[in-house]
Amino acid sequence: MIRIAAHAGSLGFAARAANSLPFLLPRYDQDRRPARSRVAILPATEYSGMLSDVLSEGLKLFDLNVAGKSVLLKPNLVDYIPGAAINTHLLLIVAAAECFRRFGAKQVIVAEGPGHQRDTRLVLRATGLEQHLNEQRIPFVDLNRDDVAKVPLRADYSRLKHLWLPRTVLEADFIVSMPKVKTHHWSGVTLSMKNMFGVVPGVKYGWPKNLLHWRGIQQSIVDLVATVPIHFIIADAIVCMEGNGPLAGTARRLDRIVLSDDPVAADATCARLMGLAPERIPHISATATFMGNSSRDLIDYLAEAPHVPDRRFDLVPGFHYLYAD
Amino acid sequence: MALEPTCLVLMALRQERCADVQVLLNAQQSDGSWGSFASDDEASGLTGLALLTLNTLGVVPRAATQAANWLLETKGREANWPWRWKFRTTDTRVNLDPDKFGWPWEAGTCSWVVPTAFALLALKHSFPSCRNGKIAHRIERGVEMLQDRACPQGGWNAGNGVVYGTPMAPHIDATAIALLALRGRPKNRLIHRSLRWLEHQAGLCRAAWSLAWSILALDAYELPVVTLQQRLATVVEPHETCDTATLAAVALALDCKVAGNSFKVAE
Repeated sequence: MIRIAAHAGSLGFAARAANSLPFLLPRYDQDRRPARSRVAILPATEYSGMLSDVLSEGLKLFDLNVAGKSVLLKPNLVDYIPGAAINTHLLLIVAAAECFRRFGAKQVIVAEGPGHQRDTRLVLRATGLEQHLNEQRIPFVDLNRDDVAKVPLRADYSRLKHLWLPRTVLEADFIVSMPKVKTHHWSGVTLSMKNMFGVVPGVKYGWPKNLLHWRGIQQSIVDLVATVPIHFIIADAIVCMEGNGPLAGTARRLDRIVLSDDPVAADATCARLMGLAPERIPHISATATFMGNSSRDLIDYLAEAPHVPDRRFDLVPGFHYLYAD
Repeated sequence: MALEPTCLVLMALRQERCADVQVLLNAQQSDGSWGSFASDDEASGLTGLALLTLNTLGVVPRAATQAANWLLETKGREANWPWRWKFRTTDTRVNLDPDKFGWPWEAGTCSWVVPTAFALLALKHSFPSCRNGKIAHRIERGVEMLQDRACPQGGWNAGNGVVYGTPMAPHIDATAIALLALRGRPKNRLIHRSLRWLEHQAGLCRAAWSLAWSILALDAYELPVVTLQQRLATVVEPHETCDTATLAAVALALDCKVAGNSFKVAE
């Protein structure tokens, strides 16, 4: 038992060291941190038609200007597993689309490129999202098979230099990352920044997008979000996932929606709600040096303040070093 | 030009005069591989599908030979000794045997089910007999890789059958394509379970791409597909006709009994 515990502890230490070392030297083009960031944690206990009102009131706190803009909603649609809380809930996606339309967006598109499931249409249909989108006449784009363009990366932690990215993403005026708050067995957590892996097209990088793993998941997340701007975050933290996420974990309620105009602040807040230390999550601590704010002192909480959970989220072995003390 | 839709369309139109393979030949790179699309100068994991397409259209032996040589030289990164050691010792989060390797989506990455399956179909079609040396070795390793990466309940997903000790769910299209690649092997428990799973899932599936691949796989194993074909004709939505690859896969599936099944490759 002692040997197993020591081995697990060694693995955790090794994982932590391996994840931190590439970020010792700054490799970004510009420090774009705002002076302060804004986050709104909204209570929401159910997925229902009321979400539109909850979200609308929350969005008004930010004075967003999307009038005349094309808005791209990027939810987390991984796969269809009956009964599993793995996807951003369809009612939250539809509520977001309604809100942005009401706020004067020229166009609202929902777009995703699942990393494992090659049949995006199957996920859309089986989850029921397709029917809702059709009823609301909200277009959907499969980012795995969109036309692509080669884009130089604005940070260089992964040494990838460039990525082929979908034109739908590149042409959007306002990108909203809508993650499902979950633990993740490769990256520790999957929040608004890890969610952006779904814009990397499978037509080029395959299923899964294995190159991003080989170049370092944490490093790839940083380079990607340094290049593809996330203008706003609507995180589904009503029913989350803990344990062996992103697919095989167990449901865990936080009964919250988290909004922010800063992905670093959003992810740091979500991590705290999960009982984790954001400064120990490499892609959050790295992006906090040049992209956004993770420190509580630099975040204005427009609704609730983040609370420490009674029980922190379960993590797979090897990621226990992410727990807040 | 995008590789996968182009190959599937050429196969679907193979008996038509308009099926001009030149567009595929023009896109072949000097090392024998194809990029994922016209401006991609890196090798795609679907080079196997491109070679199968050339073979199906029965043209251009030189291009086919170059592609086959590229496939024989390309392997998943886990096959290299430092990674083999790593996956056997310090990184056992995914159940995989690195000695059983296939083909990656991109150079410098691991083997995955779909590129491996298409590579196997292409090599078997290219070398229907007298497989010796490297050809036999790569086909055997590829078959072993597919068997190693299967989901415990049967079927395949992208290539992670068990992660952190937890069995992962199979996917319909990956299962169908893997089964096509394994056709002709002795029907072991894995293949039996996978075929049963696929038949069951195809009966429920309302997504055209997955249903089309199920039909192609079940037909290759001489299982009944007429009812599935009838349903496929009703589930294709108008907007799916904008997705060329799906449209071509649907055409191949609806036509497999009449025009033949291009993915039914002899062992």
